[in-house]
Amino acid sequence: MNLARRLATALVVICAVVSLAFAVEELLPGDPARMAAGVQARPADVAHIREQLGLDRPPLERYAKFWARLIHLAPRGRESVDHASCAVVAAVGDRELHLDLGKSFQLRQPVVDLLAARLPRTATLAAAGLFVQLLIGVAFGTLAAVRRGSWADRLLVSTSVLGVSIPTFVIALVLQLVFARELRWLPLDGYGETWTEHARSLVLPALTLGIYGAAFYTRLVRDEMIVLLQSDWVRTAHAKGLPPRRVVVVHALRNALGLIVTAVGLDFGALMGGAIVTETVFRWPGLGDLSLHATRNRDGPVVCGCLLVTSIAVVLANVLVDLSYPRIDPRARASSR
Amino acid sequence: MLAARKSRLFRNPSARAGALVVATLVAFAIFGPTLSRHGPNDSDFVHGLSLDKAPVGPCALFPLGADRLCRDVLARLSWGARLSLLIACAATFVSATLGAVVGVVSGWLEGARVRTPWPALLGVFGGVIALGLGKPLAACLAFAAGCAGTFVARSGGLRIDIDGALMRLVDVLLAFPFLLLLMAIGAALERTTVLTLLLTLGVTGWLGIARLLRARTMQVRALEYVEASRALGQSTPGILLNHVLPNVLGPLVVASTFLLAQMIVADSILSYLGVGLSPPAPTWGRMLLEGQDEYLTAPWLVIAPGAAILLSVWGFNLLGEGFRDALDPRNA
Amino acid sequence: MRSTRETPDRVPLSAVMWAALTIGLAPSCKPGLSAPMGSEHGDDAPPHRGGILHLAEIGNVRNLDPAGSVDGVSLQPVHLIFAGLVDFDEHAKIVPDLAESWDVRDQGRTYRFVLRPGTVMHDGQELTAEDVKRSAERALHPSAPNPSASLFDGIVGFDAFTAGQAAHIEGVGVEGRYVVRFELKDPDATFLALVAMSALRPVCKTGGWRSSDAWIPCGAGPFRLQPGGWARGTSLRLVRHEAYFRPGLPLLDGVEWTFNMQVLAQRFRFEAGDLDLVRDLSQADERRFSADPRWVPFGQADADTTVYGESMNTRMPPFDNIEVRRAVASGINREHYRLLKPASITVMTQLIPPGIPGFDPSVEGQHYDYGVALEHMRKAGYPYDPVSGHGGWPLPIEYPLYDQGLPVFTAQLLQQDLAKIGLRIELKLVSWEAFIALQERPSGAALSLGNWAMDYPDPSSFFDPLFTTRAIGPEGGHNTAFYSNPQFDDLVSQAHRERRENQRRALYARANAILCDEAPWAFTFSHHFYTLRQPYVRGGVIHPVWRMDATKTWLDRAGRSLEQVLGRGLP
Repeated sequence: MNLARRLATALVVICAVVSLAFAVEELLPGDPARMAAGVQARPADVAHIREQLGLDRPPLERYAKFWARLIHLAPRGRESVDHASCAVVAAVGDRELHLDLGKSFQLRQPVVDLLAARLPRTATLAAAGLFVQLLIGVAFGTLAAVRRGSWADRLLVSTSVLGVSIPTFVIALVLQLVFARELRWLPLDGYGETWTEHARSLVLPALTLGIYGAAFYTRLVRDEMIVLLQSDWVRTAHAKGLPPRRVVVVHALRNALGLIVTAVGLDFGALMGGAIVTETVFRWPGLGDLSLHATRNRDGPVVCGCLLVTSIAVVLANVLVDLSYPRIDPRARASSR
Repeated sequence: MLAARKSRLFRNPSARAGALVVATLVAFAIFGPTLSRHGPNDSDFVHGLSLDKAPVGPCALFPLGADRLCRDVLARLSWGARLSLLIACAATFVSATLGAVVGVVSGWLEGARVRTPWPALLGVFGGVIALGLGKPLAACLAFAAGCAGTFVARSGGLRIDIDGALMRLVDVLLAFPFLLLLMAIGAALERTTVLTLLLTLGVTGWLGIARLLRARTMQVRALEYVEASRALGQSTPGILLNHVLPNVLGPLVVASTFLLAQMIVADSILSYLGVGLSPPAPTWGRMLLEGQDEYLTAPWLVIAPGAAILLSVWGFNLLGEGFRDALDPRNA
Repeated sequence: MRSTRETPDRVPLSAVMWAALTIGLAPSCKPGLSAPMGSEHGDDAPPHRGGILHLAEIGNVRNLDPAGSVDGVSLQPVHLIFAGLVDFDEHAKIVPDLAESWDVRDQGRTYRFVLRPGTVMHDGQELTAEDVKRSAERALHPSAPNPSASLFDGIVGFDAFTAGQAAHIEGVGVEGRYVVRFELKDPDATFLALVAMSALRPVCKTGGWRSSDAWIPCGAGPFRLQPGGWARGTSLRLVRHEAYFRPGLPLLDGVEWTFNMQVLAQRFRFEAGDLDLVRDLSQADERRFSADPRWVPFGQADADTTVYGESMNTRMPPFDNIEVRRAVASGINREHYRLLKPASITVMTQLIPPGIPGFDPSVEGQHYDYGVALEHMRKAGYPYDPVSGHGGWPLPIEYPLYDQGLPVFTAQLLQQDLAKIGLRIELKLVSWEAFIALQERPSGAALSLGNWAMDYPDPSSFFDPLFTTRAIGPEGGHNTAFYSNPQFDDLVSQAHRERRENQRRALYARANAILCDEAPWAFTFSHHFYTLRQPYVRGGVIHPVWRMDATKTWLDRAGRSLEQVLGRGLP
């Protein structure tokens, strides 16, 4: 029951976000048809293109049409012009379930194709960034908590304060300058063509995202671990003669997991929104880059599509975190609700 | 207890260092502009150009060099300090207030379906529609009318899970990519003045504080002496004032200080992306944007605003650390 | 031993790390420029086939279909994939291309093009006159997303066709297998330039009669697009069309573009040898490269084909007063604008840019004279005293500004210059689309940046859309000054029809003089790109109209030496 209710609420939130996006696109000043036609287009041609893009219809009609076409059943085969911008989700009997987010005004490609191409790349970047954050954050945080008060602790905490003070684009530019330009260990930017190149191109953007978040996680883990290491049952474990490392890792860290997982869930959603600045500096062809250009160029269908993906990611992450929390954190199991 | 907290604060090295950095920043913002020889927006093509027709580097007349339009970087930096501090403080104030109100109300009403009088409902609904249509004045009128109406007609209305509604709103706003939301607001408002900028930042920054204070309020509500007060019949406003407020003030102050640091960064990111204040306003993010392509030949153009941003953010973060360590009940 | 202190002293350590960070980054500043990578053979070596030319763009190619929107970035690959009936050579003169000859009849109302027999297109089929007609109708059809369609409204039958009333354009006729005939309503001196543009370039039979978004571009040009060669938003690779109608050409195996590359990244890649040509240089880099004697022989400035100016709305105060406009035209110090990017900016004092045929360098036009500017303000009725700062126009004037490149800086300079003659302007940063919307409304903006690039290399490309009364539309038009002068309109429409070169120039000279005097725009500068190539790029690659033409380019580069692979070059 809980799951069903949560999913229903999630659905409502997603619909609200997309509607909000649609409304924002409508209310923004400027003319998407003009943006699509280009600067030097004559007014007659702009009017022409406006008709082609369907922008001369009233906003409510377009809003209704958007939801009507979002998920619909259609006969098999995508060859007809009507369904040129659809993606086939599943086969249902002798018909197919189509997902249609329209066509980009600027790029004139189906939005689903654009998202399908870019989503995995942003997901990879988000996962890699998260991995770096957790690796550094948990390691440093635990180290700092265990050696509280020593020079190692001081160094790590200072680094973390520094880490959260630097804006992302500064970190990105510095990393690019040092590792790509001066040392030439890694590619300057882009995505690469082979799997090796993909992996090498991933390093700097992931580090950029990771450094900022790592500082945050270091603090989080350190604070939580300090409290846990002082608690009674940890002292009991020590008294029983268990090796210190085991106490730390198995007992204390496992209990801090709950807090970490909550933070990760929130983080992943934000990262999936596309780390816009990182993607721009490193020319990483992901959702952030796409949504930035789409917003600047008033490309409504793409903006709505990106926000749909982002909101689903954020909401799903929240739901998963909520559901897994009782499993991970034994203290939460005890509480009701 | 308050006195003990205060003395811990003063002895805390983090708080002291943070206070020093922030004080320096404030002094720079106040006195810097009056002490510089040039105005921030005055191009000096006579002295500002070197022999090969490029803007000069750091020298006697231009302590931090000249930018692409031959303006004094130091003058622009100090005027930028005023702008950044003003915007960050004001935006933090708006965010903190909004976050506190929403957080406390949400936390206090958690789990209960509250009877909301019709005037309040209509006021909020009308206000949101007015905002959506881009008429902030009409929105304010609607909200005010809602408040007034609530005082007059208290009976009737729907039972609403206010906490649930507010938290769903927070979810929706969190699901929107921060930068896109800011750009959309910036574009919608057509022109960016200091007022619109701090409203934009303020309205998007309150989410974390709201969640934090909601959790804290729920904790306080569950405390035994608070339950006892309620059982004894003490009024809700009284309880909020006497018990909830002192307990949430600590986390609020800490969170606000960290939020201020984030606001400085957000402001610089906005300027960097081109949706901040209009030129020639010398915000630090704008100076970074204008100077970044010249980094290799004129690094002072990037180092000056970059260092300024870093120092101020670092200072506020240290101050926040100090507050947190001093006010954390675990240290008591 | 564990310390009893709870809160570690993080302050002095942070300070130390700060210092280390700053000191560590300092040496990376001010490196020298890398050396050019020389050719393998000497200057008189014969051209040889092979190699791929690597290019990069800050922007992105969004469309490769002549029937769609072809902007400055997509123009480069489009004109390589699709050849036209006629083309512009490296001196911007019309020369035969797919048409081996043409004649003009009926006082300039009928153009007959004779195609070269045996021209093979990318799909292996021969080009016929039927293909030319089909391509023209495909590009001008109402369903085509072509924002330049209305440029061709001079063709007979165009209106009926675009309104959907006719199935074909009456004025485009086929005579036999290789002859195409175009009939115009009125004589048009610019028609050959229009034929050279991308919209009328023939497409393969696979393109059909109507454009579609899923079509793989296919034409008769020197390079072709393979399936999978275009990774949208990332890169584009063209390969040689082996059956190109000019024997022996092209020499290159292919051309490859990378998109959305930032300026700094382009420069780094160029120095490492990954890019053979670089055009998007920062101001500082441009200055250094154009001053470095090793690089000077390999840098070339494009022709100036754009015009920038301050557009003054003649319907809004104070610019409805001609003396105020004249004051602004004399009050702007254009030399300061040029200092922003000296290798790319040319000061302009009249409408026709230096790279357009018809440009007369002896015309003085508008120029900076502070005393004269103050005098004009006095005549306007708003005298300004620079010493006391009193006088001038009492109200602040809003100046919408979009945040992209040079306009941001020129606007701030303009603000300072106009303040000195008593006009206070307030810069208002808006989004790109809001800027366009404001500029085109009759009471949207009193003063804004005007800029225009040529559609084709001819003065009419500037005079017609920017200052004629016909260009003022109810919902947008490019006459942002809302300037209307019947005498000017007459001169311009006469010049549009006049086919004798001398008379045409004289007409445009008179129209130009009117504009400089009445100053609906204060013309300020023209911008061109300064392109750098590596020495091994031979055969010419800069083109005055298409920016880049790789048909005759070849690469004189053996394979990479170890140094080049490491990217260090010679010191």
